[in-house]
Amino acid sequence: MRRRTFAAATAAAGLALTLNACSKGDSSSSSEDGGPVTLTYWGWGTAQDGMVAAWNEAHPDVQVRKTDAGGSTESSAKLLTATRAKNAPDVAVVQYDTLPAMIVGGVAADISSFASDAKAQFTPGVWSQVEFDGAVYGIPQDVGPQALAYNQKRFTELGIAVPTTWAEFATAAEAVRAADPGSTLATFAPAEFGGFAAMAQQAGAQWWTVDGEKWTVSIDDAASREVAAYWQDLVDRGVVDAEPLLTPEWNAKLAAGKVLSWPAALWANGVINGVVPEQAGDWALAPVPQWKAGDSAVSFQGGSAVVVTTSSKHAEQAAEFAAWINTSPEGSAAQISAGQYPASLDGQELTLKSDPPVQSPQQADYWQVAQRISSNTVPEVSWGPNVNVANSAFQDAFNDAVTNRTSFIDALATVQEAVVADMEKSGFTVSAG
Amino acid sequence: MSALDSAVSPVVTAPHRAPARPPRQAKVVPTAILVLGAVYCLVPVAWVLVASSKSPGELFSTFTFAPGTGLLDNLRALFAYGDGQFLLWSLNSLVYAGIGSVLSTLVSTMAGYALAKYRFPGRDAVFLAILGGVLLPGITLAIPQYLLMTKIGLAGSYWSVLLPSIISPFGIYLCRVYALAAVPDEVVEAARIDGASEWRTFRAVALPMLLPGMVTVFMLQFVGAWNNFLLPFVMLSDERRYPLTVGLYSLLAKGSGEPALYTLAIVGAAVSIVPLIAMLLFLQRFWRMDLISGGLKG
Amino acid sequence: MSPTTATAAGPRARAGAGRPGRRPVAPYLFLAPALVLFVVFLLVPIGYAVYLSLRGLRVSGAGPFGRREETFIGLDNYVTALTSTDFLEGFGRLLAYGVIAVPLTLGLALVFALLLDATTTTAKRFSRTAIFIPYAVPGVIASLLWGFLYLPTTSPISDVTQALGLGTIPFLSGSTLYGSVANIAIWGGVGFNMIIIYTSLRGIPAELHEAARLDGASELQIAVRVKVPLVAPAIVLTALFALIGTLQVYGEPTTLRPMTTSISQTWVPLMTIYRDAFTRDDLPLAAAASVLLAVGTLLVSVVLLRLAQRRAFGDA
Repeated sequence: MRRRTFAAATAAAGLALTLNACSKGDSSSSSEDGGPVTLTYWGWGTAQDGMVAAWNEAHPDVQVRKTDAGGSTESSAKLLTATRAKNAPDVAVVQYDTLPAMIVGGVAADISSFASDAKAQFTPGVWSQVEFDGAVYGIPQDVGPQALAYNQKRFTELGIAVPTTWAEFATAAEAVRAADPGSTLATFAPAEFGGFAAMAQQAGAQWWTVDGEKWTVSIDDAASREVAAYWQDLVDRGVVDAEPLLTPEWNAKLAAGKVLSWPAALWANGVINGVVPEQAGDWALAPVPQWKAGDSAVSFQGGSAVVVTTSSKHAEQAAEFAAWINTSPEGSAAQISAGQYPASLDGQELTLKSDPPVQSPQQADYWQVAQRISSNTVPEVSWGPNVNVANSAFQDAFNDAVTNRTSFIDALATVQEAVVADMEKSGFTVSAG
Repeated sequence: MSALDSAVSPVVTAPHRAPARPPRQAKVVPTAILVLGAVYCLVPVAWVLVASSKSPGELFSTFTFAPGTGLLDNLRALFAYGDGQFLLWSLNSLVYAGIGSVLSTLVSTMAGYALAKYRFPGRDAVFLAILGGVLLPGITLAIPQYLLMTKIGLAGSYWSVLLPSIISPFGIYLCRVYALAAVPDEVVEAARIDGASEWRTFRAVALPMLLPGMVTVFMLQFVGAWNNFLLPFVMLSDERRYPLTVGLYSLLAKGSGEPALYTLAIVGAAVSIVPLIAMLLFLQRFWRMDLISGGLKG
Repeated sequence: MSPTTATAAGPRARAGAGRPGRRPVAPYLFLAPALVLFVVFLLVPIGYAVYLSLRGLRVSGAGPFGRREETFIGLDNYVTALTSTDFLEGFGRLLAYGVIAVPLTLGLALVFALLLDATTTTAKRFSRTAIFIPYAVPGVIASLLWGFLYLPTTSPISDVTQALGLGTIPFLSGSTLYGSVANIAIWGGVGFNMIIIYTSLRGIPAELHEAARLDGASELQIAVRVKVPLVAPAIVLTALFALIGTLQVYGEPTTLRPMTTSISQTWVPLMTIYRDAFTRDDLPLAAAASVLLAVGTLLVSVVLLRLAQRRAFGDA
């Protein structure tokens, strides 16, 4: 009797184990007989909820459950692990630059057979972000064409004109320093891989190219070196600050009106509004400066696509969902109201009827400027299968260069080496460009 | 092993009689050093509380220790975020840390008692294996644990965070030390002679003596589980199951194009620290008992 | 490392073995839940990690978008880890960090514990709780709040130094960085170690102090000559924790990293492991480095325990 209670207690302590069987992971569920399907969807950002709600309302038979698995970095790392465990969601948001890594990682499924209708909805430049080797791996959701967010109020105070070329930008930076030594026109952020890549692409760089079976990596090509030298000059002369972005330090400077502009992408104004909501009405949007006067080339910084995963048992419905939220008027309307700039042409058209966003109520032509910018995007920018490695190597190399005041061009060479070495190790055919 | 075994055990053989000491006049310098240490530890905590009263604009524009005007708005925003996700995270943390540390304390106590009070083949091997477990970095195990959880279909569930946190080599080790020190063999023998079963001897005789030690283990486990980040971060992908640490982290690590929600993270941190401090203050009284009370009353 | 040589455990454990045959099954039943969990959640994952460390993700199939798949690659990952300057330099930084963090954590914990135990201090209850509270602050938040206190524009310390005409202190660059990172760990860890030492101090028989006091010893002399030697085992225990904690330092530099250009993703070994596993999607390499780190930790711990036994107890 007593012995039995002992055994029972031991068993109770191991209760957790026996209960294993009662709990199952709840990824996607469905009934085999064509009843309602539930898709799981990983996405981040404020726009997702509205888009998913719109879909769910219009599609009672295919319900979507959205989960926030973290921002781009966390989410893509988890997608790779979950795929290896055959546990990935049906649909997921993936940033354009990580899509190739998701393809070679076996995450993104080829949805060419479901996605042909969607192609017409996007410019060739945007579509090239999701089509590789003739196969379609995703539907573009939002785009981040380069743009200049600037503090119009401070520009006026200091008598600075909005620069249209990078040469003018450098002159303006000097003028800002001269007029108010505590302020800086812009920050060179050594960890902003995406920002640097966009500027290099704008200058004509092609970091990864495919020729048949072979990859060519040219992260330290002439155009990229030119961009590196440009920023090195500004940093060395102390004309712009070199420090990480969006830290408490940077935010405090922004709040004090000491950071006058942020050359980034269309989303930059929204980010600034999140940090300093009381400066709404001060900030405006302008086209990004050009490397050559008279040019209008704009590259992408950020932006993402929706992919169907190889783990999904409902690829067709999943692809339909991915296409619908990103091309239907309902999806685009939900997206725009959350402040995201749509990738689809209809969506971009729709923004023109909208009011300027909350951070720039004074700029009546905000969306016109945005559309003009996005119509000039550099076509056919391609990313490689190990952008994650490039990104991480870039951050360390440029942080190091800024800390130790060494050459940015050498830092680029370090990144190039790391990327080529990693691709060789993985077994890709690769050559340095 | 003697170094570790005797780390806590002098307590038992030598009762401490603090009240019997003649009260001496407090000296300024030693007290000042102690209070300085306390201030050093409290200032950053005070900052969290002060900063949680700042509106998003004030956070970066006003003097660091100047109170702001946005406490109520921040709290409202915090509890409204993502349809009340913060509350959900708090409940999740309570489940993970609460249930996990209760089970962990029980499992550890039973194991520690067995290792301290029985001689049996394989005991030393088990003990050494457990000591080795103390030394392993959690990060090393997180991903293999994830892959294994996936194989048994539990990844992403509550179980995936709860189960691995029940096993605590350090807790078992501590319980063994406490059991060696606090449960005299004579008492165990006496119970056996009275005809009590092994289980009853453990439950009715040893357990009360082990209670102060169990409180310590519970507290350490609770704080550890409450603050655990990596395991839930790796295991979970549904924000509705996040504990507070991962939830607060997710407020700070947004994708590009979205600002970090510093204000929410800070006010969330302030709110989440408060119950822990309350628990520490409450459990403090058990430290006063040390181990002596348990050991001597027996 | 043999438990049977233990002075405290010896006689009692032997007494427990009084009547063999009657309860051979009981200890196994008591241990069963712990053992099952230990095997499932520690041993099996360790085995899996070792297995993974012998594998690698390699492109299979032709074309520029061939899939990366797991294959057996032998000891390549160990070679890579042991020849990686990123990984090895991390140990150098770890040393610099540990030289600051370990002695200060232990020293402060010991001083505070002695002061709490001394008869000449007041405000004990308040101080004890206050010093323990940082232990309850999650690491993510601790680094964020220290970040605010370190960065020149938001730091209240800058306000003071600037008023004195000293400019701002670059907490997050140069060699100051090591102190700043260590400070977060010290801040969070002193209370925990203090409690361990304090619990041990409370166990010293009052007669011992009284005797010394009657001989005219000051509180300081009592602390140094009577109390410290008696709590040496507790100090060894905390030293061991501090050392293991140092080898596994990861959270503080990781959360400070976005705020400065001075912390790389490979600043300490565990950060390199994390980068390889999560950022670079090279789980097998991370597993190999983990195995190396775990074996290293084990060796260092064993050596430390051996040394401590010889020094503090003379019973090795």
